[in-house]
Formats: sequence, C-alpha cells, structure tokens
Amino acid sequence: MRIVCPFCGERELGEFTYLGDAKPVRPAAGASEDEVFDYVYLRDNIAGAMSEYWYHGGGCRAWLKITRNTLTHEISSVEPAAGVGARQVAR
Amino acid sequence: MAEISWISRGPLEHVLVVGAYGARDVAPGISLTEVRNFDLIQVMARRGKGAELANAAKARFGVAAPDAPKAVSASDVTLIWSGPDQFLVLSKGGKHAIDILSQAFSQSASLSDQSHARALISVTGAKARAMLAKLSSLDLHPASFPIGAAAATSIDHTGVNLWRGNDRPDGQPVFNLLVFASFAVSLWHTMLDAAAEYGVDIGFLEELA
Ligand SMILES: [Zn+2]
Repeated sequence: MRIVCPFCGERELGEFTYLGDAKPVRPAAGASEDEVFDYVYLRDNIAGAMSEYWYHGGGCRAWLKITRNTLTHEISSVEPAAGVGARQVAR
Repeated sequence: MAEISWISRGPLEHVLVVGAYGARDVAPGISLTEVRNFDLIQVMARRGKGAELANAAKARFGVAAPDAPKAVSASDVTLIWSGPDQFLVLSKGGKHAIDILSQAFSQSASLSDQSHARALISVTGAKARAMLAKLSSLDLHPASFPIGAAAATSIDHTGVNLWRGNDRPDGQPVFNLLVFASFAVSLWHTMLDAAAEYGVDIGFLEELA
C-alpha cells in the first residue's frame, strides 16, 4: 500500500502510522455518560470506505485524513487533517 | 568533585575511517563525505503565520523559502523544505545562527538550533543512485529528483532530510543527507554495507563547502 501525501508525494506505507477512525466527534461539555462512552470506546467495524487519520511520521510529520476502502485498501482521498497549520498544499 | 569535561566531536568521528572501503578492484563508485561543522536551524511557522514567515524569509535570505519539497540556495545559505510551513536553514560561520534568525523571525516562527543535533553526509559518485536505491523507496531518477529536489523521508527506518545538490564538476550527482546525530552511526554502517560492492572513498570536511 502506498499513500500520496499532499505535501511529500507518493510514499510507502512504512513512513506512515495509523491512528484510527476520523469520524468520532468529541461531545460537548456536559454530554451524557453514554455519549462520552461512545466517543471514547465504541467504533464501527466498517467494510468499505472509511475515514481515517494517518500520521506521516517518517516524512513531513503532518497528520492526514484519508478515505480508505477497508476491503480493497483503495484510497480515494487524502487531505491535511484540521489543525495541520499548512498555508497551502504543495501538490 | 569530579572534573567534567565536554569534548565536542562529530557524531561519526569514532566510526568514520578515511580512505578506501569495500571493493578495491574497481574505481570507487561512491564517495561518502561527512561535513562536521555547520549551522542548522529548524524554522517552523507559528499557527496562521505561514505567509508572514514567507515574507520574513524572503527579506532575510533574498530568496523565497521553499513551500514544496525543494532545497533553495542563495550565496551563503541553503533552505531545505522539511514539511508544510517549515524549513531548515543550513549555513556556516554564524551568519545565520540562532541568535540572529530568532530576531528576524520573532513574529512569525518558532526556531530550534539543530547545529549539533544532526550529521550531514554527502553521497556522490557514479553509483550513488544505485546505492541509495537499496536504502530508499524514493525515485531518484534525474527526471523525478532533479537538482534542488528535497524529501523528508525514511531510510532504514530512520528519518532523514535528503536533497540533491549541484552536480560535481565531473557531472556526477550529489545527494546530501541530514540525520539525527544519535542515528548517524547506524545509518553510516547501513550506507557502507550498501556501498561496499561499488568501492567507496570515505572522507570528511571540517567545514561546510
Ligand atoms: Zn508528508
């Protein structure tokens, strides 16, 4: 599997680290215990397109948000994760 | 109280043996040169200050800092892209040392002095690409990695900043590599293993050329 980093270009999988599901959103302060439990522990086991965080630690050290098909490993989109602070995407 | 003395030395000083290494029945296909003294500053834009940093860098160095994986040279400095809104400043003689740059970029960037935290190794020769191909998954063909191309990548699981300098006078390509000082010995051995079959000429420079 190879990932096209929006900053570095196409790189081998070994340069990246998988964080996990990019879908969960931190509940607002004062949310119920069930909502917080869901956010912290519960994950969908998706067979198909999944939104994920990856870290390009062996390269530019940017966090990326990637849509990957868990059945085929096909990657349909890669974008900088929010907060990466990049002025512009180089390519 | 015990006397403590700090001896400053290059990260490869106790493993680098000047001279020939590996195959001897051929003209050396690889030259490996450690550069021992240089100023190296990591510059990273503060949040939302990328454009401001770009302006400050242009004013300071006279050239635009790279905003893509490239190395840009001016007369007395090389700016090496290391990630979005960040670059390394490689120079010598204290002209772009941390105390000076921290004033130039006080409004726009965070700086970190890496001068004694990295080893700088230059790889050149007719077999330089063949040797690096064993270690790196990047395409270093001249069409994909021309002079001035740079990459933040991993070699042998070790993070490196790699860039292509100007060709040698005899036309051979030059690949420069910055590696964390504590990983330099490991990477050095890996490079020697990869280079041995081509014949290696090992040397060092006290100062950045
Ligand atoms: Zn990257």
